[in-house]
Amino acid sequence: MIEIRPQIRSALADSQLQKNLRLTLSKTAAGRRQAIAEVANWEELRQHARQVKAHTISRLGEYLELLEKNVIAQGGNVVWAETGPDALDFIFQLALEKGIRKVVKSKSMLGEEIRLNEELERNGIEPIETDLGEYIVQLGHEHPSHIVFPALHKSKEQVSALFADKLGMPPTDDCEKITATARKVLRRHFLSARMGITGVNFGVAETGTIVVVENEGNARLSVSVPEIHVAIMGLEKVIPRAEDLGVFLKLLTRNATAQKISTYVNLINGKRRPGELDGPSEFYLVLLDNGRTRILADEFLRQTLYCIRCGACLDVCPVYQTIGGHAYHSTYQGPIGAILTPQLLSAEDAPEHPFASSLCGACQEICPVKIEIPHILLKLREKVQDQKSARAGRLPLERWGLQAWSWIMTSPGRYATTNRLARGFAKMFARKGRNPVPPLSYWTKSRELPVLAPKTFRELFEEEERKS
Amino acid sequence: MSRPIILEKLRRLHQAEEAPSLPSRVPDFPRYPDPVEQFKIELERVSGVFLDGRNPELVRQALERVLNDAKAGEIYWESEDLFARHGIPSQLRDPEAFRRGQLVSSSHPLRQVRLPLTLNSHQYSRQTLAELTVSASSAACGIAETGTILESTAPGVGRLLPVLAPIHVAFLRRQDLFMNAADFFSRVSLGDRASYQVLVTGPSRTADIEKTLVLGVHGPQKHYVILTN
Repeated sequence: MIEIRPQIRSALADSQLQKNLRLTLSKTAAGRRQAIAEVANWEELRQHARQVKAHTISRLGEYLELLEKNVIAQGGNVVWAETGPDALDFIFQLALEKGIRKVVKSKSMLGEEIRLNEELERNGIEPIETDLGEYIVQLGHEHPSHIVFPALHKSKEQVSALFADKLGMPPTDDCEKITATARKVLRRHFLSARMGITGVNFGVAETGTIVVVENEGNARLSVSVPEIHVAIMGLEKVIPRAEDLGVFLKLLTRNATAQKISTYVNLINGKRRPGELDGPSEFYLVLLDNGRTRILADEFLRQTLYCIRCGACLDVCPVYQTIGGHAYHSTYQGPIGAILTPQLLSAEDAPEHPFASSLCGACQEICPVKIEIPHILLKLREKVQDQKSARAGRLPLERWGLQAWSWIMTSPGRYATTNRLARGFAKMFARKGRNPVPPLSYWTKSRELPVLAPKTFRELFEEEERKS
Repeated sequence: MSRPIILEKLRRLHQAEEAPSLPSRVPDFPRYPDPVEQFKIELERVSGVFLDGRNPELVRQALERVLNDAKAGEIYWESEDLFARHGIPSQLRDPEAFRRGQLVSSSHPLRQVRLPLTLNSHQYSRQTLAELTVSASSAACGIAETGTILESTAPGVGRLLPVLAPIHVAFLRRQDLFMNAADFFSRVSLGDRASYQVLVTGPSRTADIEKTLVLGVHGPQKHYVILTN
């Protein structure tokens, strides 16, 4: 079971983290608002994308088989994996067979999900994260704190100190110098790596195209330099048609980074073909379930799988803004993490995640595929609560309370009497919005008890009736 | 082993259900009275450089500008098709270089630009390619809406050269410019003729440290597009 309360407490007490979060998150909001406002039919695009996802998810098997067929027709290989360990086993076997000791990786949330780096290392293969943010996180032996900006929790001074320590870079607060150092170090790794592993943003069924969206060029290098390219993809990433890519890219990049389009959109159709001068001689697509078919089983909750990982719900979430990503202690953070984590694992394994939200609804409002996150949170809370009750039975006090409540509410006379009594109590104990008597005084320490109106609704109603 | 298990699970789930249909048409994407102007605006917005090469003299000037900026003497490319396709005047190049099929270095003064070429770059190691400063390629097409070009592999063209060099020049024909991304994705059939295509919009960039923009993290730091007729 993942407990997140202790992490949340320490995140709140970490003043450096609070400063870093405020600084970076404030930079996103205005840009995104403008990027979205520029698109006249933004709503239509969201609706379109949601409909495509809804259709695909309800016919997932067919589209995955079509994708498979088209990838194989291009000389690629498709590997199905039911669990994380299944996928990892395949990768280890492949690496062993080819004598591979080092892998260049471009960003993959799925890789994080199955702990790819740790497992590669355990098997004697060196994984090199090549996305700058991921590389920073890897050097610091941390995990990403944001879906799109993995090192968002770190200030440039902290990154500089890390590079000075691990790479011998002279300390600097110049982001360009820090980045240049990373380019130099990582370029060496690229040129000597024989296997590249990437994630997948979209898998286009009708063409067998794997789409990888990025800005740095590290995914581009990962699929160009090494002799073997392995793409790992969650089952839900398949889309039927290429013509919808324009819509998805627009939604994804404007929401993620306020860009009209990302710098590179890699469109990969298998391995190097005859006559092409370079490129991988082998291509593998790993289709990973890892709990996704279980999520699909619930007709309401399955929309969780529409997510295209833009990360916007994290940025707009007042809870994420306050506690950052690490406090969630899971692969996916923020609102999407709060609904995805308990479903990928189980409500029992992550019982606190659905409660890490104020249900303000900002996440659903920004979501490019309109996932009803607050409703899903409520559903998941219900599940957690049901399981608790099933385990322990309802607490006696709760049971008596509910019985008394239903006894009162089922009779108008009892209801009116209770109201009168409650008003009497309130007048006796409430002083200027405070209640001086424990245990109620604890509750009014930070809240005001509203002052009661001089007359109740029922009294007013009776008066009006008498007048007319 | 996993394949039949996963597919069986999915079949059971979907059996009883009516699938929501796919939307029949893609929502409208913007159109522009002057697509070239739109392309230029967007390219410059992301720190790319737009150069007009719509006649041979303009091509010469454009290439001279690139070499001057780069303080380099050579531009490397892979496919001979580029010359015919973009109307690059023969006096701008070393006609023997392709035939020799080797890397040629030159010491030509920049005033008389001659462009040494490499034909079969696969003869050279990744390390050699990684040392080149300026690479050039022919863009398969472009998208005006976002200032984007499409790089594509082909017989005689690979994936490496345009991404390894810190400075990249793409030639784009006016007639290959699509209005918007929806036009592009509905008319270009992905993967038909190439194992790898990449939409490129401006130089490589990152904002991973404090969301501060830095250009040229892994891919080219300078990105030129020369528009030809």
